[in-house]
Amino acid sequence: MDGRVGLRASRRAAPTPRVAVRSSPRHRARVREQEPVVSAMSGSGLGKENKAGSSTPLRHRPNAFSELDNATPRVMLRKIIQNQPQVSPLALQTVQLEETEDARPEPPSQRTSSTVELQLPDLVPEDASVTTFRMTRKRKKLSISEFERAADKRLPQNQAHSTLDSTLVRSLRMSVGSVMAPDTVEKRGLLRRPQNHKAIDIAAFEGGVEQNMLQIKAQDYLVDLQTSSMTGTTTIRTDAEVVLNNTELFVEPQLGEQNLLAVEPQLSDSKTSAQRSNTSYPAHEKARLEGLVSRVSTDERRTLRFSEKDLITDHEHVDGITQKTPAKQGEEEQDHSQQNDPMEQFSESEEMAGTTEHHADAEYSEHSEKKLSRKAVSQLTAAQDAGVEMEMTPSEGGVAEGTEHQDSPKAELQMAGSPGGHSPASYSLEKPGAKPLKEAVEQTGEIERGTITGVLDAAEEEATDDESDKEDHESEEISMKTPMFVHAAAYRPQPVLSPPHPVKSASPELPPQPVRAKPVPKSSGAAQRKTREPEIASSLIKQIFSHYVKTPVTRDAYKIVEKCSERYFKQISSDLEAYSQHAGRKTVEMADVELLMRRQGLVTDKMPLHVLVERHLPLEYRKLLIPIAVSGNKVIPCK
Amino acid sequence: GRRTVPRGTLRKIIKKHKPHLRLAANTDLLVHLSFLLFLHRLAEEARTNAFENKSKIIKPEHTIAAAKVILKKSRG
Repeated sequence: MDGRVGLRASRRAAPTPRVAVRSSPRHRARVREQEPVVSAMSGSGLGKENKAGSSTPLRHRPNAFSELDNATPRVMLRKIIQNQPQVSPLALQTVQLEETEDARPEPPSQRTSSTVELQLPDLVPEDASVTTFRMTRKRKKLSISEFERAADKRLPQNQAHSTLDSTLVRSLRMSVGSVMAPDTVEKRGLLRRPQNHKAIDIAAFEGGVEQNMLQIKAQDYLVDLQTSSMTGTTTIRTDAEVVLNNTELFVEPQLGEQNLLAVEPQLSDSKTSAQRSNTSYPAHEKARLEGLVSRVSTDERRTLRFSEKDLITDHEHVDGITQKTPAKQGEEEQDHSQQNDPMEQFSESEEMAGTTEHHADAEYSEHSEKKLSRKAVSQLTAAQDAGVEMEMTPSEGGVAEGTEHQDSPKAELQMAGSPGGHSPASYSLEKPGAKPLKEAVEQTGEIERGTITGVLDAAEEEATDDESDKEDHESEEISMKTPMFVHAAAYRPQPVLSPPHPVKSASPELPPQPVRAKPVPKSSGAAQRKTREPEIASSLIKQIFSHYVKTPVTRDAYKIVEKCSERYFKQISSDLEAYSQHAGRKTVEMADVELLMRRQGLVTDKMPLHVLVERHLPLEYRKLLIPIAVSGNKVIPCK
Repeated sequence: GRRTVPRGTLRKIIKKHKPHLRLAANTDLLVHLSFLLFLHRLAEEARTNAFENKSKIIKPEHTIAAAKVILKKSRG
């Protein structure tokens, strides 16, 4: 009863029940009893509580908690601080705690003295060592045992709290290892932890930057060609592309270069033939161009080019022709691979190549190969007829495609792996694939070599005599870049067609080609920049749409909105054209656009145009559209 | 706030679709206005669709359905 009364009394004074319980004398007695086993805590503590008296479950908990509370870092720290002598929060404090030879001899000597006396002698050594600011580097981590020892040295001074301290120390050891950190921090005072400055490896950093740049370049190139041919789809379609995209640093620049070099002869050839041969077969040329386009847009074009070059070198070895440039060699090979035999060979190799994975690509290459082989045929005849230089790198490329597809996975990996040693590496690869080619070449080549070399010589002469710079470039490997990109650009905007029978569809496709070939070169010829299709910035569309819709929108929904916007612009451009034509004009006027909006139902008798302008356009544009009268006989916009 | 109107881009887009067509002085601003109103309508329609589906987020299917309606409405 007394206890309870006391409890109540204390409760009145105490702010919380917890504090009240803690402050109750009964509780205090209990705590003192259970100090020795505070470390054991829960089980034994509760048992002791039971022994103590009427132990309701309610009482258990506060006591247990109080025990626990005593063992909290906070309480322990408080006790430690109380026990520790008062010292200034300077770095000198570390002197006391550190297990230094200096510190050790001092405390033992002062152990016997009282607390008060201790403080002074403690301060003395501090003063003596004022000058030395202990660098924390020397003592990075204070072990608990060290701290205990130091603490133990001071414990005997405070007899009253000795047991408590020991229990504290023990609990420190047991439970709260991390308490050391704040405590040591406190002891260290305001010293900072030593900073580890890692020296940046500049070389590695720059290497990494270069890698990034090249990867971005390569990806952009890849992406750009794809987008232009596939109307904006930039997804990685095949594993081959993924592999290509992730090739090593040193592969990519070579890839880029070889792309240029490889494509140049083809494109320049096509241009020459277009320019020269009046009797050029439109179908075949178009087919060839298509093939080029398809090749440009296929994923394996890099490997194709590689293999092309390799085949060129292969055939060098095979045919023993060393003086000619790859372009010429390509001609030769194509001339060799003339009629149906090579085509059959190609189809054979195609069939061999057609794996399920690369099925689509194989078909693609099949088509292009067929086209190219037919081109080879037609071109050869044309060359023989008109003595026109027909460079057959496309068909060679087609062959390369066929052979490449066989070994495409291996080839790609090898290409990625060994950019430098192309010829030897891929030569071995190409061997199985090159065999049919070689057969075809050798079978048909013997007779034609004589004529073809004659043709080639004539072509070489023609090349030198040719007016256009691009044709001069043909004979040189080095400066092929401009014509290559000129032609590449010419083919980029064109949609990629892969008709099942190139023969039939070849004829109608030519007419648009020469028309388009001319205006496009100037846009991309100057700089090797990707020609991006003009689109409204997707960020602007997102901003406007989300502003109007006022609710969250998924990313895919934004894509759809973008597509809708494109279609909308297509619609209105034809509408505006119709309106202006109806009015007998060639320019779209404000009235036309207003009529469009009226037909759309945006402008009505109730909703005039100016109101819409006021509502939706920013001020600067409003001023341009709506004439406002200002003083001084001035009207904006001035009419 | 809103950024500036992409006048150059608008002209390029129309040029891409109709190369022979010319645009008068501030017509591209009106074209942009019509585009804004188109997006406005599209947004409203998509929002309505989403509400009907008891969804608080605009999903692609809502947008597609809205686009069909609004594109048809926006024909001249």
